[in-house]
Amino acid sequence: MLYRRFDTVVVSFSGGKDSTVCLHLALEAAALTGKLPVRAYFWDEEAIHPETIEYVERIRARPDVELRWLCLPVKHRNACSRRSPYWYCWDPEQEPLWCRPLPAGAETTHAWFKRGMTIPEASPYVYGRELGTVCDVRGIRADESLRRLMSVMHRLEENWLQGARNGNNYPASPIYDWSVTDVWTAPMQHGWDYNRAYDLFYKVGVPLNDMRICPPFGEEPLGALYRYAICWPDLWDKMVRRVPGAATAARYSRTLLYGFGGERLPEGIPSWREWTQRLLVLYPEPYRSIISAKTSSIIQMHKNKTKRPIPEDTADPHSGLSWRFLANLIMRGDLKGRRQGKLNDAALKQMDRQGLTLTELMESDRDSTTRY
Amino acid sequence: MTAQPAIDITAEPVSRVEWLHRSQLSANDYNPNHVAPPELDLLLVSILADGWTQPIVCLPDLTIVDGFHRWTLAADPRMEARYHGMVPVVRVQLDPIHRRMSTIRHNRARGIHGIIPMAKIVTQMIEEGVKPDDIQIGLGMEDEELSRLATHIGLPELAGALDFTKEWTPGKKPAAAKIQRVK
Repeated sequence: MLYRRFDTVVVSFSGGKDSTVCLHLALEAAALTGKLPVRAYFWDEEAIHPETIEYVERIRARPDVELRWLCLPVKHRNACSRRSPYWYCWDPEQEPLWCRPLPAGAETTHAWFKRGMTIPEASPYVYGRELGTVCDVRGIRADESLRRLMSVMHRLEENWLQGARNGNNYPASPIYDWSVTDVWTAPMQHGWDYNRAYDLFYKVGVPLNDMRICPPFGEEPLGALYRYAICWPDLWDKMVRRVPGAATAARYSRTLLYGFGGERLPEGIPSWREWTQRLLVLYPEPYRSIISAKTSSIIQMHKNKTKRPIPEDTADPHSGLSWRFLANLIMRGDLKGRRQGKLNDAALKQMDRQGLTLTELMESDRDSTTRY
Repeated sequence: MTAQPAIDITAEPVSRVEWLHRSQLSANDYNPNHVAPPELDLLLVSILADGWTQPIVCLPDLTIVDGFHRWTLAADPRMEARYHGMVPVVRVQLDPIHRRMSTIRHNRARGIHGIIPMAKIVTQMIEEGVKPDDIQIGLGMEDEELSRLATHIGLPELAGALDFTKEWTPGKKPAAAKIQRVK
């Protein structure tokens, strides 16, 4: 259907399990509609598993796939470090520190690419307007997370088809309703090739839902950073010097130094409120301003809901906020706002514990500034 | 008080340390231990600072059982200048199974550092006037680790030592003013 509706179909290929399914679906559809070879593009994030490189090389060698290999200085999150919260893969200025040599045939510059772009920002430009309407096939699945569920609900004609970005680029998520087991059933039943990094994940006991081919230094993958040192020691030797904080995060990412188990106040700190303020000043500019603005907006959200002061430790039953929550948020340097959803959970829990209903709360907070 | 039976110190490997040239030794082919660059650098710092405190453990044919990375570092120019390629060696008689066990044992029979005690030691050193740079080199830490450990205890002095600035930029909250100095 996508091949009939759009002038050009491209597959956003990461080497992961979900894009593996997309690529093979595209191969079938292109064969049916006589549109072979399948166009695909791969963002090479530099610090990637050797198995991923081998797998993408095998895909590139296929005559029925026309793969573009992109090694551009894309901006990535570095959650290891407070002082350098971003890193740029294949940064020309850091060539001596690169984790591996540039692969053959890689695209390293483009007129449309500006330093500081992230992958989602740059992706709509990879295939230009000369190709007409471009459908960008991505392996996003709703059951991965709420955020991803939201992203497949921008209906164009179907749930999984979004409106145009950059005028001609339409993201599509054809496997949006697949579960993680479906994604593995398909290659097994059809005998498709896949990324052997998953075999290694399986051997070291990673749960199926957590097996992700993704940049290593972001918030979510940080807890598994130590795994690189165990599974890919040669790669790790380069990674540990590639971004500031990598060695520290590998050692402590699952501890209180990175906001895990942040239920106890550090010794010598009188209150969570004070700890929140101290943590914030540890960030250099411009990140301090960004985080500070985020913090202010959360506090404002609280003030809109109730006149009660922000509690120290236990969540407010209406806003879910506490100084402890803010301290842990800042500790993790949550620049993408990924943890704010936890506020609702905290509020609901506290509401339950105090035996309140939402109506009662809204009634008691009626004199606050909120207009419902 | 009963007299202790005399121990035969000559039977102990440490009583039979020989100084040999590193070229006489060879690596084993089974060691699963991998030392990442920061720890390898720290190992060099350790030997240069303290000297050789532990001999390399070898089989009678001088295949290394324990000490592969120290042996590798013996080729470093600074080590070469000081020791001219000589390394301290003790030889032990081990069958093929027990020599592999011995290699792993030498690396595994050690502990893990608690975070809070580490944070305390680091904070103490700073209070005693040790420069952050010297702590980083001496303990093999990048500044991220030192800063996270030290600030965990809540030591505002370190913020100054590490070049942190103290004012809040956006908004009107005079937060920085509220930070109290901890004695």
